Amino acid sequence: MRYIFKFPDIGEGLEEGKIIEWYVQKGQAIASGDPLVKMETDKVVTDIPSPKAGVIAITYGGIGDIVKVGSPLVEIDIEGVDGVAAQVVAAEVPAPPSTEAVDEKGFGVVGTIEVAGDGAYLPAGDEGISAAPAPTPRKKALATPVARAMAKDYGVDINLIPGSGPAGRVMKRDIERHADSVRLKEAAAPVAHEVPADTRDDYRYEALSTIRKTIAKNMLRSKQNAAHMSVMDEVEVSELVAARTRLNAVLAKEDIRLSYLPFIIKAVARALKNHPVLNAELDLDNERIIYKNRINLGIAMDAEDGLVVPVIRDADTKSLVQIAQELKSLIDKAQTRQLSLSDLKGGTFSITSFGSIGGYFAVPVINYPQVGIFGIGRLTEKPIVKDKQIVIGQMLPISMSVDHRIVDGGEVTRFLNEVLSYLKDPLLLLAFEGVNHEL
Amino acid sequence: MLNTKTIDKYSPLADKLYQLIDDSGHPLNKNWKPELSPEAIQQAYKDLLFARTADLMAVSYQRQGRMYTYPPNLGQEAIHIAAGLQIKEQDWLVPAFRELGTWLAKGVSLKEVFLYFKGHEDGSRFENAPRVLPVSVPISSQLLHASGLGYSIKYQNEKDTAVFAFVGDGGTSEGDFHEALNFAAVWEAPVIFVIQNNQFAISVPIEMQTKSLNLAVKGIAYGIPSLKVDGNDFFAIYDALRYAREQAVSGKGAFLIEALTFRAGAHTTSDDPSKYRSAELEEAWALKDPLKRLKGYMEYAGFPLPAPEDELIASFKKLIDKEFEAAENYPQYRLDDVFDYMYAELPDELKRQKQNLINAIGGVK
Repeated sequence: MRYIFKFPDIGEGLEEGKIIEWYVQKGQAIASGDPLVKMETDKVVTDIPSPKAGVIAITYGGIGDIVKVGSPLVEIDIEGVDGVAAQVVAAEVPAPPSTEAVDEKGFGVVGTIEVAGDGAYLPAGDEGISAAPAPTPRKKALATPVARAMAKDYGVDINLIPGSGPAGRVMKRDIERHADSVRLKEAAAPVAHEVPADTRDDYRYEALSTIRKTIAKNMLRSKQNAAHMSVMDEVEVSELVAARTRLNAVLAKEDIRLSYLPFIIKAVARALKNHPVLNAELDLDNERIIYKNRINLGIAMDAEDGLVVPVIRDADTKSLVQIAQELKSLIDKAQTRQLSLSDLKGGTFSITSFGSIGGYFAVPVINYPQVGIFGIGRLTEKPIVKDKQIVIGQMLPISMSVDHRIVDGGEVTRFLNEVLSYLKDPLLLLAFEGVNHEL
Repeated sequence: MLNTKTIDKYSPLADKLYQLIDDSGHPLNKNWKPELSPEAIQQAYKDLLFARTADLMAVSYQRQGRMYTYPPNLGQEAIHIAAGLQIKEQDWLVPAFRELGTWLAKGVSLKEVFLYFKGHEDGSRFENAPRVLPVSVPISSQLLHASGLGYSIKYQNEKDTAVFAFVGDGGTSEGDFHEALNFAAVWEAPVIFVIQNNQFAISVPIEMQTKSLNLAVKGIAYGIPSLKVDGNDFFAIYDALRYAREQAVSGKGAFLIEALTFRAGAHTTSDDPSKYRSAELEEAWALKDPLKRLKGYMEYAGFPLPAPEDELIASFKKLIDKEFEAAENYPQYRLDDVFDYMYAELPDELKRQKQNLINAIGGVK
């Protein structure tokens, strides 16, 4: 019989180990408990003994190779049965659903705690309570005077209501639910047939992906640490639309197509140069502001697994075409999960163009610890007043959030006005190209 | 032999160490004779060897992925075997977690020990050892339970009954240690506190743990007669525990023993001691190994080993494997059994949580 021995988690939540030395080779007879291989892990360097007696059939990996926990280490032909008649997997030891590693300084001095299977968790509230058994009247239900008065108003006997609060206390929500069900029953009373029991599950459980966990952590960190303030405006961009059309007609020969995003990136980068406090970070621990000399713009992208924010570096020094090409490469990488850490780190300010999917205004969440995020809604044709005439305008909505701890409304509005001036008249961008000019 | 007169020679305040044999197992005083018969000493040797073999195999099972985190006993077993001989059936054992030999002497089965370290609640329910508390993982909290048990023994006037309570050197820095000592002292509760001072609280060396001269003086501070003993000297620790128990059950109240020893292995299977202590230190303590010293005495006194050591180990291994297989074949625990052992009758809120868990995992499993 062939026995596959998989590298076990020998250290409370290990992911992998490195092979330091093999003690056995193919064809070698071993006893149970004999050392097979020396492994280095995050916790210890240790010998891994064999759980079975037999003859080594296969060893997996060479010295220096990384082996993931749960991957095969060796296959052993167990005495008594020939060949590969039956394959038995090491994990056939009645395995617990899963274990949770525990921080050494807390509980886990001598053990690990079992937790329910992956994805199984207890709802924090009272959702998911099983169907309560038929109520039997109690002597006197535990409830606050407010709840008692409420039950009286509804005309129900509070002693008949199952309580979901501490020690079975009848809560207001219990009374509402009970009153609702009484009303429903009364409404349904004339119908003679019984409704079949609903056997569908109320919940489905799914483990969080790493990226979802990261997003959750970052969003919460932003909302808990930054003093969010948002400003919204719209700008008429007929000239930008026309300029883009003309440029694309020329660039088509070189197989380049500009979206509006490169223009916005250039406009934001230029304005950040003139309003450095928006390209900064608050360092409260040291009571200072860290100004960032480079303008690296994070561009929010809606990838399949979730939000990613790769960075266009030194955006203020790049041409529209350079930016367009970089964007294309980053979008391709985001869609194929090829983004590397260097693509993602070092952002100093962010842009989200949610309008490419839809939506006019929004309240974007700052990519903390950056100071601000610039959001673009959907370009929309709208009636506007121009020279006392109602005409059709090309309106680009802007939603921007900043950290009010660092910057006040006046400076934010001046920044916004500058960005909008570039979007209204893209020629202005050209006017200052390559020059460190302050408006 | 310790008695009410000789005990004064070993005052912890003078940092004296109670010792009967030297590192090679020879008596320090040529006239000394052990109280135990040659047969009893041979049996103690076998028990120590068995506990050591079981301990080494437990580490091996863990490394094979068949058991969770395990705290090795290697190097400290003389204390466990001596305590196993002194603890009576009616006495309570309140373990820390590193005293395998005493558990076995009390009637805990290896199958139950393995179940515990496989994460099974039934590994804390000892079929043939009713007066053994389960491991209380928060360090030193068990000593409060021990003082309470000691008080109940006194309150219910149970005769000839004591509590053996274990803790490590690190545990002496916990508040619970001090509360337990204080109340055991004022209540004159028959509790024998055994500090296994293996000199490292996981990776923290004893000199970073306390400014006290030794750990036994901490007992003196609370008015508890205390003694520092060579914990790798089987005869010394055996005699010290005998004296401590005599004192405790004769109405004189608590007693504290600091058993000086060395953990030859890791703190647990998740620990790598080479990161915090030197090979020289390990080699120096290997010379004081309790099994080696016990065998040294047997050789000195001229009684043979009961059987060749490798034969004994081979036969022990078969027994231990059998116990481990019994633990592996034991019915798997149910996930909802975490709710089952705190209350005789489950409060409503926990009933609700238990039902929630069962719903969430799709039934009882």
